[in-house]
Amino acid sequence: MSSEASMLEVDGLSAFYGEARVLDEISFTLHEGSAAIVGRNGMGKTTLCRAIMGITPPDSEGSVLLDGRELGGEPSYVICSAGIGYVPQGRELFPSLTTDEHLRMIGGRLVARGRWDVDAVYGLFPQLARRRRLSGAQLSGGEQQMLAIGRALLTNPRLLLMDEPSEGLAPAIVDELLETCHRLRDEGIGLLVVEQNLGVAGRLADRLLVMVSGRIEHDTHAAELLEDEEAQRRYLGVESMATGEGA
Amino acid sequence: MSGARGGARAGGAVATRLASLTNPRAGLRQQVSASLAIAAALAAVLWVLYKAFGEGLGSSGNAPQFIVVCLNGLSLAGLYFITASGFTLIFGLMRVVNMAHGSFYLLGAYVGLGFVEDGVPWLVAVVLAGLVVGAVGLVIQQVFLRWNQGQELRQALITIGLSIILGDQMVAHFDPTPQTIPPPSGLTGSVSLGLYGIDYPSFRLFVIGGAALIGLLLWLLIQRTRFGIVVRAGVDNGAMASALGVNVQLVFAAAFFLGSALAGLAGVFGGTVLSVAPGQDDKFLLSSLIVVIIGGMGSLAGAALGALALGLVEQLASVYLPEGYTNYSILLTFILLIVVLAVRPTGIFGRPE
Amino acid sequence: MIRYRGAWTVGTRVVLVLVLLAVALVPAFFSTYFTGAVALKVLWLGLAAASLTFLSGQGGMVSLAQTALFGVGGYITARLMVFEAMSPWLAALIGVGAATAAGLVVGSIASGSRVIYFLMITLAFAVVAYLFFSQVSTFGGHTGINGVFAPAPLDNPTLKPTAVYYVCLACCVVAYLLLRYVGRTPFGLALQAVRDEPARANALGFDVRLHRTLAFALAAAIAGVAGVLATWQTTRISPGTIDVTRTIELLVVAVIGGLYRLEGAWLGAFVYVLLDTYLRGLSGRFETWIGIAFVAIVLLSPGGLAGLLARIDEEVRRPERKRRRRRRRRRAPRLGSALRRTG
Repeated sequence: MSSEASMLEVDGLSAFYGEARVLDEISFTLHEGSAAIVGRNGMGKTTLCRAIMGITPPDSEGSVLLDGRELGGEPSYVICSAGIGYVPQGRELFPSLTTDEHLRMIGGRLVARGRWDVDAVYGLFPQLARRRRLSGAQLSGGEQQMLAIGRALLTNPRLLLMDEPSEGLAPAIVDELLETCHRLRDEGIGLLVVEQNLGVAGRLADRLLVMVSGRIEHDTHAAELLEDEEAQRRYLGVESMATGEGA
Repeated sequence: MSGARGGARAGGAVATRLASLTNPRAGLRQQVSASLAIAAALAAVLWVLYKAFGEGLGSSGNAPQFIVVCLNGLSLAGLYFITASGFTLIFGLMRVVNMAHGSFYLLGAYVGLGFVEDGVPWLVAVVLAGLVVGAVGLVIQQVFLRWNQGQELRQALITIGLSIILGDQMVAHFDPTPQTIPPPSGLTGSVSLGLYGIDYPSFRLFVIGGAALIGLLLWLLIQRTRFGIVVRAGVDNGAMASALGVNVQLVFAAAFFLGSALAGLAGVFGGTVLSVAPGQDDKFLLSSLIVVIIGGMGSLAGAALGALALGLVEQLASVYLPEGYTNYSILLTFILLIVVLAVRPTGIFGRPE
Repeated sequence: MIRYRGAWTVGTRVVLVLVLLAVALVPAFFSTYFTGAVALKVLWLGLAAASLTFLSGQGGMVSLAQTALFGVGGYITARLMVFEAMSPWLAALIGVGAATAAGLVVGSIASGSRVIYFLMITLAFAVVAYLFFSQVSTFGGHTGINGVFAPAPLDNPTLKPTAVYYVCLACCVVAYLLLRYVGRTPFGLALQAVRDEPARANALGFDVRLHRTLAFALAAAIAGVAGVLATWQTTRISPGTIDVTRTIELLVVAVIGGLYRLEGAWLGAFVYVLLDTYLRGLSGRFETWIGIAFVAIVLLSPGGLAGLLARIDEEVRRPERKRRRRRRRRRAPRLGSALRRTG
């Protein structure tokens, strides 16, 4: 597959917290579709998301290309404008804003450039429409996740970067979440998901990248890894897929 | 900026804090200081009420004086609020303690005075002064503060240095003898309050009204416009706001412009009511600091509350302290500060960091 | 943030001893005016600045209250000496005690606050102290208190400043050694931990507020001593000695010298007093130039002049260390604890 068709290309990405190197020359390429990054706690998965999004700390160096455009070193809002929508771990909603304000916050230029506007988001998540005057803290865990995804969608991204979206959610809600993600994927939005839960990761993406100690140690198909208990143990520790550790 | 929602939250917080007094597990230090503080505050309020109304509500009693003193306190509070609202906007959004904020106030006063002396109508002069000071603030922010975001102490020190330079340059370029800005022609006299036959300076009433209007406009800006939503999001989590496409540098610049302009605006008001003189910059910087410490960083409602507290305490203390102790009124300001810090260290509407 | 250096090298010790010798010989080689008005001022101003530098360097707290505490020491001493005809030494003791007590009070109020709030609260205290001393008649109101004569053995500071000079010098040396010593006691080390990582120190069981309050009280005592010495030297104290301008001036002195090294306090005082004495008359805009120098130092060399000197010293003696550190970054170990923090 030629790199001209690549959506996201990460090359030699390293990240430091002070003098401690947390990401070690990470390189991978994403073409259309979705991929999940899996790994145990503390392996650098969230750091990777922050480095791609240009959020400091950590300090990062290396190259991140989105559709061929170099994003390394740019401020976060430029990276967002370029087309990466960020759904962070823990959602990071704004305590001072209501649900509706979270959506209205996104800049007009970003909203107008694609099919996602505030009404479309409410259409996707009707529950949110019923809660539009409430502040983020008053939403349930699942609704918070919907809001976090919704506001990222309003930037009409090329690629959605999601960090532990299933964290803290009941299984039924996780199912809804997965359905939403599949719908988005079918519409052509790329999906790069960080997940500790191997089962969820496998249902979200065909391709799994296993991170160990700040490096990508294994790049495989979901089906393969899910069947290979030996590999699971080696790369991910002793949890089996059935009882994948939640956050 | 929390505004009304902050008000509800703070009400709950105060209630929780009061409840914690009876909670045996709350720290002893907190309980003792909070109880002492509330007791002292109650005693003070009762004392003032006694002095004011102890001789009845008739005009032979002290009620008329009380009303005048309260109005003085309110007009002072109005000045403090306009200044402090700019300070808390900058502080809340960018975590910048602009120690040159008082210099901006004085600069606004001198610029406004200059315009009025040149024949510009007062209302136009005040707007122009605000714009000029806003521009100065914007330049300072872009040159000195834009690149060291997050280094709070360093920025505070830089702005202290700038205040030294600005202060000296103002003495060099403007007449340092104390002056006053003449009020607009309709507001030079007094107006009857219809109560006890009191006549009160109309410009001071204008200051109270003006401050309330500015407060209302700011509230609308913060609560009802997209800019306000972005500012509030930025105060909550600047990194995340940026990750959602908000050009935070632009928002910072706009907020710094607005905050500085408010200081300049306040300067013209203050220069008309009080005076235009070196030393006013220190006075209004200090009052902004106290208002923000009392009211909480980044909160418009907090700035209003803090300004009211400061203005009223200052005026009431200067009149109602027992004879021979009126010189100690300044101590009451400090005590007010201590009381608030003891009960709620991050300010009444502040958020625990 | 530059770490407060505790280690002395042989070279540093030699330099400091030489400086001390030079300072001690000033009365012998310089005019009475220079000794009494300039050098003496450098000593007590440096002492006051040292109280600020100690707090900022060791404690991570930049305090604008030091001038006011200096004033408490000076004012109480002056009042007792002039109006109660108390023995100067006893008055001085009480003055310093009062300053320490004030330091305890203000410290306990401000100790729970972050750096920026601490700055604001101490400034508020400074202004309140100024207004208090300028309005309360016991302390002479706007004119202050005059006729404060140094104790008899110390002679007249204007005509024969040598005795006062050496007392001042002794106080400075004692304070310097004391503060350096404190930095190496368990208390001092705990204070530095509180400075660097307050949350972690708290979790380890250190009472953060207590440490900060005690450090503040110590600094207040030192500022109080400086206040007493200054009052003896100038024979008066007035609100103008402790107004906002003077408060900022002390900060300027400390910043110019360097906020992270104790020696910087006297270095900054030396530079400032020389500039003030000899250059103020040259330009009407002295304050502007000071402000520019201040901003320049904060922007370019936050460690002040002392920091600059230290860096030159490092460059000259140990270029190897810089090269080694650059190489270390390339092959930085992947520290487990840092990773676990981020997930």
